[in-house]
Amino acid sequence: MISFSTMSTSTMVRPVVWRMLRASQFQNAPPTFLLPSLLNTSLQSSPFSSTSNNPYPRDMNRERGVSTQRRTGLRQPVSVSKTPLPKPVLDSKKRSKVDVDPDHGLWQFFHSKEKPMNTPEEDHAHGRAWTVEELRQKSWEDLHSLWWVCCKERNRISTESYERQRLDAGYGDAEARGRDAQVRVTMRGIKQTLTERYYSWQDAQQVAKTDAEVDLSGEGPAYTPMDYVEEGNVLEEESQFRAEVALSPEAKPEAKSVHNA
Amino acid sequence: MKPTQALAKRVTRLALNTKNTNKGYYKGTGTGSTGWHTKHGGYIIDWEKVRTYVVPEGLSNCKLSPFVTKKIRPQKGRFEGDPKGAFSGERYLEKWKEENGED
Repeated sequence: MISFSTMSTSTMVRPVVWRMLRASQFQNAPPTFLLPSLLNTSLQSSPFSSTSNNPYPRDMNRERGVSTQRRTGLRQPVSVSKTPLPKPVLDSKKRSKVDVDPDHGLWQFFHSKEKPMNTPEEDHAHGRAWTVEELRQKSWEDLHSLWWVCCKERNRISTESYERQRLDAGYGDAEARGRDAQVRVTMRGIKQTLTERYYSWQDAQQVAKTDAEVDLSGEGPAYTPMDYVEEGNVLEEESQFRAEVALSPEAKPEAKSVHNA
Repeated sequence: MKPTQALAKRVTRLALNTKNTNKGYYKGTGTGSTGWHTKHGGYIIDWEKVRTYVVPEGLSNCKLSPFVTKKIRPQKGRFEGDPKGAFSGERYLEKWKEENGED
């Protein structure tokens, strides 16, 4: 049986009763039907709800009702219960500054240290990609370095695109994609140059077998240039030589054959 | 190891992930094999297969950029008109003779 009182404290006498008591001084006697309320009957006080704070619920599950998601807290205190927990600082302006090494390698993932990403204008301000003709002139070391430079630039563009999406920063993705496309064209050109070099090298090995000047067997020099004179120019050069000799007898006789380097 | 091809197809409604289905369905992530599985459930790494990245030495001093100024117009190639073009061994050999042939 649940008994409850409308007032939480049981000792206080109701004001209505108090007025009645005072009124009774004049009227001599209170009405009899109010007598039970005049007596200080002990009122049972019990909490509104009937659930008890029992550490061991009926199924002996000590974790029952304990949730991290709903932040209920523990059922029983633990040793760190009195320790004040650090609270997160929600206002970003009030957070303490973290010391960052200005030469940290991870800075290379961004175009600038001051802002999280390039503006669309800065992203758009790039040149054209390398042509394969320009790349053919470059040495292996240069191409190797250029490839890595391209990779790093693509990483930078990709990081900033991700950041732009995360922060919902706005426009700029189209310019970033255009920049990335140009870098990829350069990388494609590098690959093409190296492929061309390899295939032409293979072909050259075949051609060298039929070339008299080249000996790739390993015995002797690989290249022995043979001095030769092209048939069409023989008479021309002979007559020139004679003319020179006639003009300047002191001049040393030069070699007839033209060294074709 | 190859993934079960029929289940990996995107044509079907089952666009499966590595986390889906019971054991027996394997799907790689495109990173490549670096060894082999032992019959006891282990894995032996074949270091010949493991990829290593060679950083170019002059990278920090490299002044090359992925872009070229637009003021320089793209020019015709040196192999224009050559049927073999850039794959020509004769041209390679010529250049080799010019630059490296004589010691």
